[in-house]
Amino acid sequence: MHSLHELQATFATAILERDSSRIDWSVGGDNRRDRLAIYIGNVYHNLREALRAVYPTVDRLVGQQFFDHAANRYIRENPSQSGDIQRFGDRFPDFLANFHAAASLGYLADTATLEWLVHEAFHAADHAPLAFSQLTDLAGAACTTLRFRLHPACRLFASSFPVLKIWQVNQPAANSDETVDAGAGGDWLLVHRIGFAVDIQPLHAAEFAMLDALRGGRAVDDAYELALQQDPAFALGPFIERRILDSTIVGFDL
Amino acid sequence: MRPNRDGFVMAIRHSGIDCTADEECQMRTTPFAAAHTVPALPGIGLRPPHYQQILQEQPRIGWFEVHSENYFGAGGQPLHVLERIRGTYPLSLHGVGLSLGSTGPLAKRHLQLLCDLISRIEPGLVSEHLSWGRVGPRHLNDLLPLPYTEEALDVVCDHIDEVQERIRRQILVENISSYIQFRHSTMPEAEFIAGVARRTGCGILLDVNNLYVNEANHGLDPVSYLDAMPAGAIREIHLAGHEQLGSLLIDTHGTRVAAPVWELYARAVDRFGPVPTLIEWDTDIPPLDVLLEESDHAGDIMRARHAFAS
Repeated sequence: MHSLHELQATFATAILERDSSRIDWSVGGDNRRDRLAIYIGNVYHNLREALRAVYPTVDRLVGQQFFDHAANRYIRENPSQSGDIQRFGDRFPDFLANFHAAASLGYLADTATLEWLVHEAFHAADHAPLAFSQLTDLAGAACTTLRFRLHPACRLFASSFPVLKIWQVNQPAANSDETVDAGAGGDWLLVHRIGFAVDIQPLHAAEFAMLDALRGGRAVDDAYELALQQDPAFALGPFIERRILDSTIVGFDL
Repeated sequence: MRPNRDGFVMAIRHSGIDCTADEECQMRTTPFAAAHTVPALPGIGLRPPHYQQILQEQPRIGWFEVHSENYFGAGGQPLHVLERIRGTYPLSLHGVGLSLGSTGPLAKRHLQLLCDLISRIEPGLVSEHLSWGRVGPRHLNDLLPLPYTEEALDVVCDHIDEVQERIRRQILVENISSYIQFRHSTMPEAEFIAGVARRTGCGILLDVNNLYVNEANHGLDPVSYLDAMPAGAIREIHLAGHEQLGSLLIDTHGTRVAAPVWELYARAVDRFGPVPTLIEWDTDIPPLDVLLEESDHAGDIMRARHAFAS
């Protein structure tokens, strides 16, 4: 005889291992393997489709059959950690990076990372733009201590592959048969939300360094120093103005 | 067969109500009952393909229901749309992931997110499923059946107590469709659900399609099932479509409500009176008009059986 906990633990393992023989002793009826197979099929189907919804570009790049194969492995090795299925799949990029069968597609894991960041940005918190009334405080601020707060839906991502182009030509609306040279150089990207739509913006190395440092909590002077190392001509004033206007910068601490 | 209770420590029931013996809690009524509801009219499940049309046309429908977890994000479009629709319609939050039937503590973060959503949306009804879907940190994100035993009854009741104490209101629990029955169950499903409602004061969300699916899959008698339900506890009814797979019926929520399910629904309305009734559709989502037709049909049955119903 088994406690409820033992029953549930065995049942969960039987589903994830897709082996109904581990649990069929507990189930009545003569076609119990067929009945248990429905649960195995449903769990895998639901989790695979949840992954496909977050990673449509990866799905298009590798094709449905390969995607299903990768997803099934991921589901078994990285069981869902939340009752909210929309949180499932955060480790799929890392999984793909180490997935032997995809080793020849070096750009696949970074493409997946970009898709996860888009997913995060879509659901991230709202924030009002910086109020004009606050700008006078900003004018007299000391850049050695001034820190900017970025919009909660902002994400930054640097890749050594042209992942933005890969992402763009694989959007359903793009209807593109353009080929992308995976060796054409990398991207520095800002993923952010404009209204409710997620936008991906390519950045220069200096601006990426600036935003990355600000997001990490560095003071404006320190971040500017890092930007200048990338581009001695980087202009701080226009950067701040532009990023306040597009709500990338939404607050500051003096 | 009876489960071995050796070594199983009964969880101490925490309750805001002062009662010293478990027996005294058996018949208590929850202090949160009947504080909220949605109208006793047909409603439909709110799904993203229909967002724009509903916001623009504001169709005549009693209320909407959503899956709570789809609005667990911190912000963005889903919550914005939900708040706008809530501004016009009553709303019901229907959870699929709290896993009331899993042993061990409820997922704290999940319960917190549900609390936050309830505060934000102020729904008319809050419901969950009589199922389990998690073992420790591993989630299967499915609605899995329980063995109907005293042990499972204790687990479910403790979790419902915890949720109701936490959100300070009544929840409804829904009977699920299932494809298996555990050999060591010691009571029929109807007795189990009635026991849950009696012990916790929770309401029952009666899914008539699930009842029909279980009739086909397990030979369960739906009439005696309805008779075994505590009539006053039925606060909502679900209707949906199913599909045949070999000798089994599968609860797909991807078709119109089947004729025998409408018949069973009419019986339920006879017994329980006009109750908020939801048309659920989750796969191959059709145009909104199809859902409105289905809900009109539910309304016709409600009115035919209860001429005085609104």
